[in-house]
This record gives sequence, C-alpha cells and structure tokens, in this order.
Amino acid sequence: MKRKLLKALAVVLAGTMALSVPVYAKDEKTKLTLWHIQTGTMASCLENSAQRFMEQNPEYEVEVIQMQNDSYKQKLSMAMSAGETPDIYIHWGGSSMIDYVEAGQCADLTEFMEKDNYKDQFVDAGIEQCTYNDKIYAVPVENISVAGIFYNKDVFEKYGLEEPKTLAELEALCDKLVEEGVAPFALANATKWTGSMYYQYFATRKGGLEPFKNAAAGTGSFEDEAFTYAGEKIQEWVDKGYFNEGYNGMDDDSGQARQLFYTGQAAMDLMGSWFPGTVIGENPDFIEKVGFFPFPELEGSDADQSLCVGTVGDNLYSISENCEDKEGAFKLIQSLLDEEAQKERKSFGKIVPLKNYEAEDELTQEILDTVNAATGIQLWYDQYLPSEVAEVHKSTSQEIFGNLKTPEEANKEMQKAMQDYLAK
Amino acid sequence: MQTTSLLARKREREVRKVSAVFLIPALLIIAVFIIYPIVDSFRTSLFDWNGITAGKKFIAMNNWKELISDDTFWKAFRNNIIVMVLSIVIQMPIGMAIATFLDRVGKKGTIFKVLWFLPMLMSSVAIGYLFKYALDTNTGLVSTISRMLGGKNIDLLGNPKTALLTITVVICWQFIPFYMVYFMAAYSSLPADVYEAAIIDGATRGQYFWRVALPMMKPSIKSAIILSMVGSLKYFDLIYVMTGGGPGDASELMATYMYSNAFESYRMGYASAIASGMFIVITVISLVTMKLINGKEEV
Amino acid sequence: MREESKAKKIAGKIIVAALVLLWCVIAFLPFFFMVMGTFKEQFEMLMGGVFKMPQQLYLDNYIEVFQGNIWNYLKNSVVVLVISLTVLLFVSACAAYPLSRFKFRMNKPIYSLIVACMSVPIHVTLLPIFLMMVKIHLYDSIWALIGPYIAFNLPISVFILVTFMQGIPKELEEAAEIDGCGKYRIFWSIMFPLVKPGLATLAIYNSVNMWNEFSFALTLTQRAENRTLPLAIWEYQGQYAMNVPMIMTVLVVSVLPMIIAFIFGQDKLIKGMMAGAVKG
Repeated sequence: MKRKLLKALAVVLAGTMALSVPVYAKDEKTKLTLWHIQTGTMASCLENSAQRFMEQNPEYEVEVIQMQNDSYKQKLSMAMSAGETPDIYIHWGGSSMIDYVEAGQCADLTEFMEKDNYKDQFVDAGIEQCTYNDKIYAVPVENISVAGIFYNKDVFEKYGLEEPKTLAELEALCDKLVEEGVAPFALANATKWTGSMYYQYFATRKGGLEPFKNAAAGTGSFEDEAFTYAGEKIQEWVDKGYFNEGYNGMDDDSGQARQLFYTGQAAMDLMGSWFPGTVIGENPDFIEKVGFFPFPELEGSDADQSLCVGTVGDNLYSISENCEDKEGAFKLIQSLLDEEAQKERKSFGKIVPLKNYEAEDELTQEILDTVNAATGIQLWYDQYLPSEVAEVHKSTSQEIFGNLKTPEEANKEMQKAMQDYLAK
Repeated sequence: MQTTSLLARKREREVRKVSAVFLIPALLIIAVFIIYPIVDSFRTSLFDWNGITAGKKFIAMNNWKELISDDTFWKAFRNNIIVMVLSIVIQMPIGMAIATFLDRVGKKGTIFKVLWFLPMLMSSVAIGYLFKYALDTNTGLVSTISRMLGGKNIDLLGNPKTALLTITVVICWQFIPFYMVYFMAAYSSLPADVYEAAIIDGATRGQYFWRVALPMMKPSIKSAIILSMVGSLKYFDLIYVMTGGGPGDASELMATYMYSNAFESYRMGYASAIASGMFIVITVISLVTMKLINGKEEV
Repeated sequence: MREESKAKKIAGKIIVAALVLLWCVIAFLPFFFMVMGTFKEQFEMLMGGVFKMPQQLYLDNYIEVFQGNIWNYLKNSVVVLVISLTVLLFVSACAAYPLSRFKFRMNKPIYSLIVACMSVPIHVTLLPIFLMMVKIHLYDSIWALIGPYIAFNLPISVFILVTFMQGIPKELEEAAEIDGCGKYRIFWSIMFPLVKPGLATLAIYNSVNMWNEFSFALTLTQRAENRTLPLAIWEYQGQYAMNVPMIMTVLVVSVLPMIIAFIFGQDKLIKGMMAGAVKG
C-alpha cells in the first residue's frame, strides 16, 4: 500500500517535473561533482581551477558545489548514507576520515599519489595526515593551519611590549596589559574550538605528543598530569583576567573576537594560521599591523617545545569509492593545486602544503618558520578524536573556561567518554 | 420509530463517508511524511549506527537505557520546560494585549500592525546575529546602557545562569507577533453585534474585555497554549544559532541535543532514541494538557 | 468626580501611547539595524559594531547580491511557497471540517493523532525523507520540498482550523441542511467563507515558515540552481569567518517580498474577514 502510494506520488511529481524541466540531450561527457566549503575569492579560485580542468580535458563536465561549513557534516553524512556521495568531497582528516574509509566511502589514492612521485611535492606532515593503514586517502589542498599567537603591533608598541619567548614572559606581558586595561587575549568561545586551542597547547607544552596519543588510544588517560596542568593553567589565566569579558557567549565566526582585536581592545588572538587570510578578506590594510609569534615555551618542561598544534592541509580532498572515474577525479584535484591556483591561493594569504612554497611577506615567513622548526604537529583534538568524544572535549573545555567544572572533573568526564567509546 | 432509526443510520453512514473523503488527503500526507519517519526513527533507535555505514548493529534497548540515565537529556528536558512556561506566561498576555489594542483602533492601526509583525518575518539566522551583537559583553547594547548608568559590562549569553533565560526572551520577541495575529483573528471571529450589545448594556470597555470577549475567546486561548507548549518543547532554531546549547549544557534543549548527536557526534542511533523520546514526552504532555483544560466542557 | 475620571482617562491614554511607542521600538529596532548593516563595508561593521550608523550610503552589497544567484533562489522560493501553501490550506480546511463538526467514532483518535504529529521533531525526519526522495528521484529539485512543507505545517493548521470551526454557530449549518444543502455544499459555501480569519492567520504564519525554512531545503537540494532563499547566505558563511553585512543584505532582500506581501495582504485579508462576518 505504502509503496504503491509512493509510486503514484513519484509518477505525479515526476510528470510535473518533466513538464517544467527541459530535457537535455544525453551527451558523452563524464560528470564530476565536487563539494567544498570555501567562500568569496577562494570559492572562485576553485571555480577557476575547474574551468581550466574542463578546458584541458573536454571529456569532463565538472560541477563545483559550494556547501556551508556549519551544516556540511550533516549534508555529507546524509549523502553517504543514501549512496549519493559526491565524487570529490572535502573533510578535515582525523577520525572522520577513518570513519569514511571504514564505511567504504573514501577511495584509496595511493597509486595516484605515487605516480610520478606526486606525493613528494607535499609537506610530509600533510601526507601523513592523509594516510591511514599505510594507504593515502586524501590530498591536502588548502592550507597549512597551525595555531599561533597573532598580535596587534600598535598595541604592543604603545605599551612597549616585545614578543615573548617563554610562558613566564607571556604572563608578565599579560599582567602589564591587564594593568593598562587592555584584554590580553581576544577569545570568542561559544565556538568552543577556539578555547580548546589553549588547552591543547598547554597540554602539549607540558607533556608533548605522547599523553594525548596514549589517552586517545586507551593506553593512557585524560587524567594525566599534562591535562590537569592545561585545565589549571586556563583557570588561572581566566582568574587573572587574561581574556576579554563574556568570551563564553561570543561567536568567533561572526567576528566578535576579531572586533576586539581590530579595535585594540584586546592585544592578541591565539588562532590558526588562516588568520592572516581572514584579515586580508575583511580589511587588507590591517594586515600591516598584525604580528605573529609561536606559542611560547614552557620553561623546565621535558617535552619538546617546538611542537605545533594544528593541521597541515585543511581542507583535505577525497574521492568517493563510488566515483566512476577516479583517475579523472584525481586529475581534477591536481588542477586545484596547479601553478595558477597556487599563485591565487598565495595572494589570499594561504600557505599551501607544498614543499616548494615560498613566502613573500614577513608574516607568512614567520608562520612557515614555526612550522618548519616543529618536530611534530599535534592534530586538533576535535579532529583527531572520534566525533562523539570530540564533542565532549569541546564542551568540557568550554566548561573549564567558564569555571563550571574543575579541571579534574572535566578530565574525568573526558576519560569516561573515551573509555565508553573504546569499549564499543 | 423504525423509519427514524433507519434514517439516523443512513445519516450516520453518510457522515462517515463524507468524513473519510475530507480526511483522506491530510492523513495520506501525514502518513508519508510524518508517521513513516517517526516509526523509522523508533526502529533506528534500536541500533548502534553512525549514520554513514551501510551496516547497523542491533543493540535492542541499549540506547533507551542510556537515554533514561543521561543527565544531559534530562537537563535539556528541564530547560525545555522552562522555555515552555516562560513562553506561555510572556507571549500570551502580550500577544492578547496587542491584539486587543489593534482590534480597537481598527484600520488606523495598520502601520503598527506591520511594524509589530516584523520580528515574525525575520529569519532566525538574522535574529541570531543581531541579538548576538546586541548582547555582546564588550560592545553590545546591554553593556553600553549598563556602563552609561555607571554599571559594569553584562555577560548574558556566556553566563550559564542567564544564557537560557536571555534566549527565551528573544524567542518570545520573535513569536509574540504570531499570537498577535492569531488573537486578532479570534477577535474578528466574534459576532459583530456582541460588542455593541455589551456597550448598549452599559459595559465599559474593560468590562467588555474581561466579561464578554475573553470568555468567548476561551477556545482560541486554549489552542494557543497548546501551540505554544508544543512549539517550545521542540524548539531548536535560536539556541542553535546563538549558543549551540552552551556554555556547557546550560542552554541545551532536547532538539539541539538530538541534532548534535546525529550530525556532530555521528550517533544516529542514539539521536533517534532522543527524538523518539521527545516525541513521546511532547505528545503525552500536550494530550494530557488538552484533556485537563477541556475537561469540564466535555462532560 | 467627573474631573477625576477625565484625568484617569487621559492618564490611561498616555500610558497606552507610551506602551505602543515602546513596543514599536522593541519590535522595529532590530530590523532597522539589520537594514543599516547592509550599507556597511565588512570592516566598518567589525570596527563599529551593528549599532553605529553607516558612514555613507554604501550600496555595493546590494549590487553584489543582485548580480548573484538571488533571482533564481527567489523564483524557487515563490514556486515552492505558492504551491505548498495553496495545497496546505485546502487540505487542512477539508480535514478540519469533519473533525470539528461531525460526530463519528474515529473523530477523537484522528484528532489526537494529528496533535501527536505536531510533536514530531523535524530533524529526525530529515534522513528518512531524504532517502525517500533519492529513491523516487526527486532529490535535488524544488519539487522535493513541497511534500514536506505541506506535511509539517499540516497538523498545526488543522489544529487551529478545528478551533475556529468549532466557534461557528451550529444553527447556520442546520438551516442550510433544511434548505437541502449537501455536506460538500455546506463546506464550500458556509464553512469555508466563515473560517476565513483563521485561514488568513494560517496563510501568514505558514508562508513565513515556508519562506524561511532551512533544514529541508538544505537536505533535499544540492545544486545552486535548485536552492531556495534561506540557503543564499551560504556564499558568505566561511569556515572561519563570515561576511556579516553581506549576510544581512541577503536577509533583507529575502524578507522584502514577505513584508510587501504582508502590507498588501493584510488589507485584503481584513476585507475577507469582513466579508465572512457579514455573511454570518
């Protein structure tokens, strides 16, 4: 009964459609669909690449579809569950890439990547992020995004401040700013991952990469002292007034933190290295005033202090297992990184994860130096961890910031979430 | 005697036939787009499924057991109840007051009607942005006013004690125009001569409102309460746009909790259990309330 | 005595006027600032915030919006709205008629079922409906939206109309029946006109809902050519930042048709209501 009904409905609706939509003649072109979440000039950069690709390979017809960041995961997971996965789609690597691979939605690209040693053009850490079980499943395309501290040069000059090397120096600097009535850090933490960066850096400075890796694998624990330190340090900074007021209710995407940064009400912003690109997009003139230094070192810690938190490649481009012409799709991805595209990306302040990338301005060079000096990169917790645990992390880190939970309570909750997940 | 009962039976049969004809289109649409999905969600709630893979793992009632002992869900439920109570208490009287005013001034009130209806026309996204800025602790309107009065900056959305209440006020702001229009329609359904008759009988306008109009609009008010209840129990939009349920779970609602489980944590099975649980809870609450407030008349 | 009551009356008027003014401010200001925001450059917005007046009449946002896909989105939204709303109002009026006027065994259960359907949270239905649309090949077309749009506004519409129809005096119907009118005639020539105020409310409420509907539009369409207006803001919502003035411009442009429709519509609706009342 139900099926009949659906059929009847389908026939009626299909009829209406046939009347209103002109019927295209079937052509021989292979269709490729690409989903991305870039906006503005970056979106046109992708369109241009696709256009060039079609000119060079007229047998393809490429449809570049812009999706929205907030609802992207929802849209992609639904498409996957219906077998409607786009030929090429972006993701952020980490646990979700593993999910997609395990679900048979993500094609093995190792063969293509090794052809002509194509993969050697990429920064090693980028390839590493696209690798799972010794196979490469994605191409890092967009950006090297590591977090570091961006500061307003005018504010630093006004109060005679200098880039700190150690956390102690940074704290002294912050105290000075607090005295002057300037918020040291601009933070909009309704977004959650923004505050989580502080947590990640503190933990990494204290314990290196190991505690997190072990905790996520189940061999260690989120109640490790590195995490306790991270939580306590955050609350200490909160109590000292190092962040602007009202951070937990502010939204980073709509610019509530940058507003304070631009107007000089806050001096610094711990942010990913897409930050200059954002500034260029919002106000090209302001970029002159932006300075950068890596997250300072923690004196007396045994851990490697050169480590960075972030991702190399953000976004990663993968090909669907259902794609009928994977070779063509891969060529399309390559065209996103051809010479012209590289040039375009650079002009928007992006650092493409290619070895031959050369910075043209001081700010980018400093970021690049930081990345090159790093002996390792801690992938964002919320991308590394399985989605459900990542949500707990983001939420507990926000609660630490809000003094709603003690570091011990929050870390205990994290540990429990991780164990529950691993026990499944 | 026999002819009348025959006639009655014939009438009854006709009524049944006519009813079926009138009801079938609506029931068909509901069956396809609402009943089928909710049944499907009950089924999915029995599986451990991330929403992506082809295979689902049957885990019987485990999701439900987890739901019963999930503190966040009950916190969200409590928050929903708060939103519900405040919505009814704030929206109904203001909506009624505005409708009464507009009903009295008649055509002269058109400009007000349009102005006052604007909040309803704005999308939740727009409202979310504007209020996020208006409530911004450092640069927002509320803090600016507070500073002008010699006070400090006020943090409403980042403070777990005030986040939910603040957004509830915004929700009320958004929905009052609906009740305004709704009660205006209720007014215009009143027979035209009632007002004149009451005034001729020497009633003041106040008396007319309390003793005549309000009792006559009772059914509409009752329905409005049910609407407001159901609406606030499954509310999603502004919370999602403004706080995403935070800080912590301070402003989490059942619907936002379900959403983040389904599409952020990739726990489709558990999200389905939340949704099914919501469905049961809301249905029971609304049907019981209907029984209660209609109780007397139905005897 | 008379003086006093006069004073009271004047005081009352002043209070009412003050409240009316206050409410105008509360209801209108956010909209006003949204419109002002559209005349700002992005950086101007970030530096000055929403509540500063624009420095100049900056129209580039509008120019950019109108050069984009907006006309296409607008067309899609109108088509979906007109079809869905027409079907919805008709079907729900039909369903409300027997539920409010007739006594039959299934009346209460069906009514309860419809109330229960109001409590279905929309997000859980997205996936099943999406899979259904993929199967019947309606995915990624605006036609996929019509079914869900009707269905999800149906329970509430029926619920409201039942309330309104119950308020119509029984005598009218009985008189018509004595005159030999069939049930269908009664529905068309008595109930339908009399319930116009309710239908008008529903038309307004449902158009707003459908016009701003986001979740189904997101789920059931893919290509830009099939999107509706609420999805138009995507182009300005990036991964790490969004262009707020552009978003506001899109939102203002999206809401304009609704405001115009409301200004003209509410006049017509009132006339419709009057007509209904006169007939009664």
